[in-house]
Amino acid sequence: MNIFDIITINVLQSAIRLATPIILAALGAALCNKAGVLNLGIDGFITMSAFVAIVSTYLIRNFTAIGMMHPVLATFLGVLITALFGGLLGLIYAFLKDRFNVDLVVLSIATNMLALEITVYIMRAVFHQSGTWSDSSIVQLPSIELPLISSIPVLGDLLSGYNIIVYLSWIFAVLLIVLMKKTKWGRYITAVGENRDAAVSVGISVTKVRYFALILSGVLSGLAGAFLSVGHLTLFTRDMSAGRGWLGNAAALFGFNNPGGAFAAGLFFGFADALALRLQNVTKIPSYIIQVMPYVLTIVILSIVSYKALRDRRKRKAA
Amino acid sequence: MNAITFENISKYYPSTEVQASDNVSFSIRKGEIHAICGENGAGKSTLMNILFGLERMDSGRILINEEEVTLRNASDALAHGIGMVHQHFKLVPSFTVAESILLGTEEKPFISKKSEVEAVRELSEKYSLPIDPSALIDTLPVGMLQRVEILKMLIRNVEILILDEPTAVLTPNEVGPFLDTLRNLKERGKTIIFISHKLQEVLDASDRITVMRKGKFIGTKESKETNIYELADMMVGRKVLLSVDKKPSVPGETILSVENINVTSSSGLKILDNVSFSVRRGEIYGIAGVSGNGQEALIKAIAGEVQVRSGVIRISGKEVQNLSVEQKRKAGMAYVPEDRVHVGLNVEASLLDNSLLGYEDEKCFKKGMFLDEKKLRERAEKMISDYQIYGSSVDGLVSKLSGGNMQKVVLAREFEHVPDLLIVEQPVRGLDVGSIEFVHKAIIEERDKGTAVLLVSVELDEILSLSDRVGVMYSGSLAGELSGDEINETNIALLMVGKKGGVE
Repeated sequence: MNIFDIITINVLQSAIRLATPIILAALGAALCNKAGVLNLGIDGFITMSAFVAIVSTYLIRNFTAIGMMHPVLATFLGVLITALFGGLLGLIYAFLKDRFNVDLVVLSIATNMLALEITVYIMRAVFHQSGTWSDSSIVQLPSIELPLISSIPVLGDLLSGYNIIVYLSWIFAVLLIVLMKKTKWGRYITAVGENRDAAVSVGISVTKVRYFALILSGVLSGLAGAFLSVGHLTLFTRDMSAGRGWLGNAAALFGFNNPGGAFAAGLFFGFADALALRLQNVTKIPSYIIQVMPYVLTIVILSIVSYKALRDRRKRKAA
Repeated sequence: MNAITFENISKYYPSTEVQASDNVSFSIRKGEIHAICGENGAGKSTLMNILFGLERMDSGRILINEEEVTLRNASDALAHGIGMVHQHFKLVPSFTVAESILLGTEEKPFISKKSEVEAVRELSEKYSLPIDPSALIDTLPVGMLQRVEILKMLIRNVEILILDEPTAVLTPNEVGPFLDTLRNLKERGKTIIFISHKLQEVLDASDRITVMRKGKFIGTKESKETNIYELADMMVGRKVLLSVDKKPSVPGETILSVENINVTSSSGLKILDNVSFSVRRGEIYGIAGVSGNGQEALIKAIAGEVQVRSGVIRISGKEVQNLSVEQKRKAGMAYVPEDRVHVGLNVEASLLDNSLLGYEDEKCFKKGMFLDEKKLRERAEKMISDYQIYGSSVDGLVSKLSGGNMQKVVLAREFEHVPDLLIVEQPVRGLDVGSIEFVHKAIIEERDKGTAVLLVSVELDEILSLSDRVGVMYSGSLAGELSGDEINETNIALLMVGKKGGVE
């Protein structure tokens, strides 16, 4: 069996799909890290957003005229609401940090625990379901074939045929790369994150930078959550994020908190996931070994990256 | 024409009860280099922070170009053409020189690296301050970083440039070119204010010199018409000596001996240069000097965990330079640090806990593996009455105590330990007269019990009234050692400003 029997175009497509929520989380985490506001609540944001996405889609689909007539539009509106909901979570974070100087790490621990339980609680109390919930009226986000690109052989299959959130993750990656590398605002964000005093002394608003980073990371988490519940499947399960937010945090570090790096790292984690799934199907390697692979890989790579960073720092100090 | 006029500026810090600025009035002429001198705590930095909008004054007026201004923040100050280079640089490590200089001045949303590099190159040529615009901040030496900070202000078109202790971070080789830079900026019409307590370079570089002491304006002198002696007198001041009854010392064997120790900072700057001295049983050895001349590093090397590059420190004959603080304490050292709130005490804990801090492992305080609560309580009660600690009970928080009573807690704890070597650092800083007397008496009593006392102080009268011998620190080395009749104000003051020949 050669390598192309294992890594087929389907595997790559599923890699991109699996990578999407991780990429969105990673872009938000990288931005926050750059701005010096560690957001470890992304995983919780995603779980809550996944829930909000399916519930809002369900409500629009069944209780509004527009949703009853256009089921797909209901899902799009659900995604939009979820993005705003994520932004609201980020706004709350920024407000608590700015006004009360709340410790974001502690807040994030609370957020993650709350996200897990409150979604299950509402699911039980309102929808009388435990574990998973879905409704047959809800329509999944449609796949979109990109004109021109979809007709290119191989590459067309690889780059086209995903739902809107996948494309949005790419667009956000590009926008953030440009923002951080080419604009003065990117420079301000870095300055605030690396040396707050330096930023303040030249009149840069630390408050604005923090609000921006946290709100945008919330919006991105919202999209990631919506992708899981109405983009990928049409159901909500307990702990829907299942650590993807944390993988996003890891990917951000792995990519040195640069949006480009975070994107590549997120893609890599998605590929590892897809490969693991594939290997379970085509090989006899015990599944628990394969399932643990992405995580082992993560640890190995993070170790290499941090070792390299340490060495660079030492070298610079010596020079 | 005056660039700046200060009128009756006052500033009081309620938290530390310090009058940092006390009715200060003087002015700075347009286009001059004006130095502001004074010891640490004289109020120089506070005044400059007020001028740069970082601190608000309680009362007074500031006039810029003869017009009254309100300065609420750094942006206000910059808008009035005032720029400041802080002692601790405010730079982003991962930025290039050009990015650092232009940070916050970008006009267009999108950045053009090429035109930025060009702009910085032009600026550096205009002011003859050569620098590589694409070098990374992280890789530059301190002198260059300072240049970046100066250029950062110049690109904002400041007319008045404040430099807070600019030479403190420079190596001796960098100081000369730096002073040339100041003269060069002056020629281009800029007004320069620089804070320093290094009198020689102040005399070399400035047109006029203002001296401050304890928040007060003492005087402004033309540099050409004054000299180092006059400035030293103004800085230190002639105060009424607090008289302390003291018997002549009866020194015994050597307890602390420091032999040729050298200490370098992480950036490679020499902080201590071949310092040697010894302290004997039953004497108080005073380390005098303007602060920032290596006293801090010396104390940290002896009492703390600063690694010496070379040299030997012995306590009662035992080499301790590589030992931990705990081991040094076991060797017989006790230490009363300058910063009692953060270093000497845990102010959020009770008096009882603080009375033991650091000595929890001593067998006599234990009952089995636990602390002997009853014994410790009695001991703490006794400390409270012996040392007249007012303001809190045994279980009360130390944070409730006044500064003087806090210091008594530290003294009580360290003295009860019956040390061979006692190190006291600025023991009366911020205390009222009554507490000062108490603390001084307690230190002398310790000496009379046969303890070797090392006293570090920038207060000249404290050194004069307590010390049996005096070593004066100047720029990292011991400028001279005085004993007996040689210990007087003039001799110490001369050594303090680096005039070795001062002692005949």
